[in-house]
Amino acid sequence: MIAEGLIERSLNHLLLQSPGASETLRRHAGCSVRFDLTLAQYDFRIADDGCFSEAIVESPDAVIRPTAALLTRLPFFGRDALRHAEYSGDPALLATLDRVFKQLGWDVEADLAPVVGDIAAHRLHAAGRDALAGIAHALSALGHNASEYVVEEAELMARGVDVTRFNNEVDRLADDVARLDARLRLLEDRLQEVQARPA
Amino acid sequence: MDKTTHFGYKQVAESEKAAKVAEVFHSVAAQYDVMNDLMSAGLHRLWKRFTVAQAGLRPGMKVLDVAGGTADLTRLFLKEVGETGTVLLTDINFSMLREGRDRMLNEGKAPPAVQCDGERLPFPSNHFDCVSVAFGLRNMTHKDQALAEMHRVLKPGGRLLVLEFSKVWKPLEPAYDLYSFKLLPLMGKLIAKDAASYQYLAESIRMHPGQEELKTMMETAGFAKVSYHNMTAGVVALHKGFKV
Repeated sequence: MIAEGLIERSLNHLLLQSPGASETLRRHAGCSVRFDLTLAQYDFRIADDGCFSEAIVESPDAVIRPTAALLTRLPFFGRDALRHAEYSGDPALLATLDRVFKQLGWDVEADLAPVVGDIAAHRLHAAGRDALAGIAHALSALGHNASEYVVEEAELMARGVDVTRFNNEVDRLADDVARLDARLRLLEDRLQEVQARPA
Repeated sequence: MDKTTHFGYKQVAESEKAAKVAEVFHSVAAQYDVMNDLMSAGLHRLWKRFTVAQAGLRPGMKVLDVAGGTADLTRLFLKEVGETGTVLLTDINFSMLREGRDRMLNEGKAPPAVQCDGERLPFPSNHFDCVSVAFGLRNMTHKDQALAEMHRVLKPGGRLLVLEFSKVWKPLEPAYDLYSFKLLPLMGKLIAKDAASYQYLAESIRMHPGQEELKTMMETAGFAKVSYHNMTAGVVALHKGFKV
């Protein structure tokens, strides 16, 4: 109950905050969408106003399955991660959903303003955005340093460029061996021809 | 002979229950909100907010608040449905309805307030997007009839939300009983000057169907996809069902 209610409320909130989103969905009013999370399925119908409404659906017009790839990428890539979801059903509806989901944006400042006031909301939002950017930068730097240590200092892993060079050398060696093999075969053939000639 | 029903732990004639319940609410109406805050330590506000969050309301929708009393839910619903939506506040008890209506007027809002019986709703069929009944079903004589009426007035696809006291988590029962039967009447006596009404409250909670029973009742009334969510260890439960 909670999950469906929360999904419905959150989606509709984002739809109403994103200009044109619910209007775009309105043309598919009456169609049903299932979010299939494997362990649980959440069914919604697109209402006349272009918002999602929790519904009882037997065979949905479209099914969206968030994959593990989507869930792991979502925090880092946001909307760009949506292409990793699995979609099935009515292509026109899916195309619209894809377009709408990609244009959804959360206006944090607008939601905070009624609670703390416009100025505080703007500053809180800016501070939160800077903090998140700082965390992302710190995580990226940490990952870079860790990979550098593992590759350069501890030499536990090979560098990408070394792996490529090694692969190229193996390829070249394989080619050389093949050529040598061919020459040897040729020489053996000639030797057999010479030995086969009558003295 | 008139059939009997429970009024708290007492058995009374069915025809008498409504009048007895009315007496209780006439008595407590003026102190109802203060007592709610005291008895639940303010938690009833969170329960009601959660209920509204589950209503799936959007601007322009029509909502019926059955047994809405002092309009706690109505006020929250109004924010959700906006200027273009409609929220109807109803209650069988005039004292409670007057409290709710006056409270709304004091906030500069004037939603329609209708005094009516939840078991005989004076509204057309297939009319509302959402019907709610918070802490009201318990007091109705014929709960099945009330649920059937709520089902009738809902549009297909509309949802019913029943927020009601329920069966508390077993290990907490002794403490809950102590609180309900000792502290509640005492608080009622000191603040609302009416211990008997709060004794009735405690008893009526025990007589009300538990989570699963109410779910079955809603399914019997025609609701589909009925689910419930316990809050505060089952002290209250929110049941949600859809009209197909």
